[in-house]
Amino acid sequence: MVEHTDELHPSEYFLQAGSIPSIWCPGCGIGTVVNTFIQAVEKSKIDFEKICVVSGIGCTGKVAYHVKFNSFQAVYRNPIKRASELKLKNPNLKVVVFLNDVDFMTSGAEGFIGVGKRGVALCVIYVNNFIYRIFIEHKALSRTPFIGTTVENNIESPFNIPHLAKSCGAQYVARWTPLHARRLMYSMADALQKPSFSLIEVISPCLMYYASNGIIGRSLDRVSFFYDNSIIKHGEPTENLDIRPPNKIIVGKFVDNIRE
Amino acid sequence: MKVFLNGLKVIKGEVFIMKDRCKGCGFCVTCCPMDVLEVSKKFNVNGYHFPVVKNPDDCINCGLCEILCPDFAIWSVLKEERQVVEV
Repeated sequence: MVEHTDELHPSEYFLQAGSIPSIWCPGCGIGTVVNTFIQAVEKSKIDFEKICVVSGIGCTGKVAYHVKFNSFQAVYRNPIKRASELKLKNPNLKVVVFLNDVDFMTSGAEGFIGVGKRGVALCVIYVNNFIYRIFIEHKALSRTPFIGTTVENNIESPFNIPHLAKSCGAQYVARWTPLHARRLMYSMADALQKPSFSLIEVISPCLMYYASNGIIGRSLDRVSFFYDNSIIKHGEPTENLDIRPPNKIIVGKFVDNIRE
Repeated sequence: MKVFLNGLKVIKGEVFIMKDRCKGCGFCVTCCPMDVLEVSKKFNVNGYHFPVVKNPDDCINCGLCEILCPDFAIWSVLKEERQVVEV
């Protein structure tokens, strides 16, 4: 048995000293997303100083604290707007935005639509965990019909985010789950090279809220539930990407083109 | 068969575990394609069951445990690489 505690992880250079182990629950997908992001940066050989990480509020907002890149945490519903200001002021930076439901699709939706339509070259990584529920009208936008925060199933169907991103003019749209880690890494390495707006949606469960309903077993089962119920279809038309529970979740790379 | 195998590389890796960082999520144990790891019965500093290496000779350095670990607690390095010669 090999247990070397003296040696360092190969990605140790990209981590804020003393911030690991992270604050996320055991089995949460956000840690895997951060790990794949760091490996994608290593793979795409972008200059370490040219990357800036912006994140919002909530659990996903802590990404800015855990990584050692230039980073800041924007206030409620503002990270995409602040990131676009940063990018327009410093065009040489690669700006990566980590978002959750609040900052991306509910309260911050107008920022995403405006900035995406303008084509600011941001790499947006959206960790979708279907739980946002502060205001009643937001439930229709991002949450899932089968589990989450309503006791009964939701009467609304969830929002088709890749379709909206494509109609806003995004140049690169992909959707994965955390257990597709290697494919997610290649997607991130692709999206970092794009000269226009790109979106990667990561479907990851919130362990705490799913545990309260007790529908899907242990933490590992909740992550692998999405992995098992997904099917890879590259280039699928974005109209078909609704998440409706009896059908499988379609993952893959959907849009990859040059913006006119 | 000789034609296909000749010139291929056999890669062996070595797994390193930083056990006090582990939070016991079980990603690495479940997703390892060669079934190298297993969950230990011991506890680490924070009270989680960390993974241990069960079959150290089977590791093929695929790096899946390294990319999946949310807490950067496990990684693998290349230990040995040799080419298959004609049998």
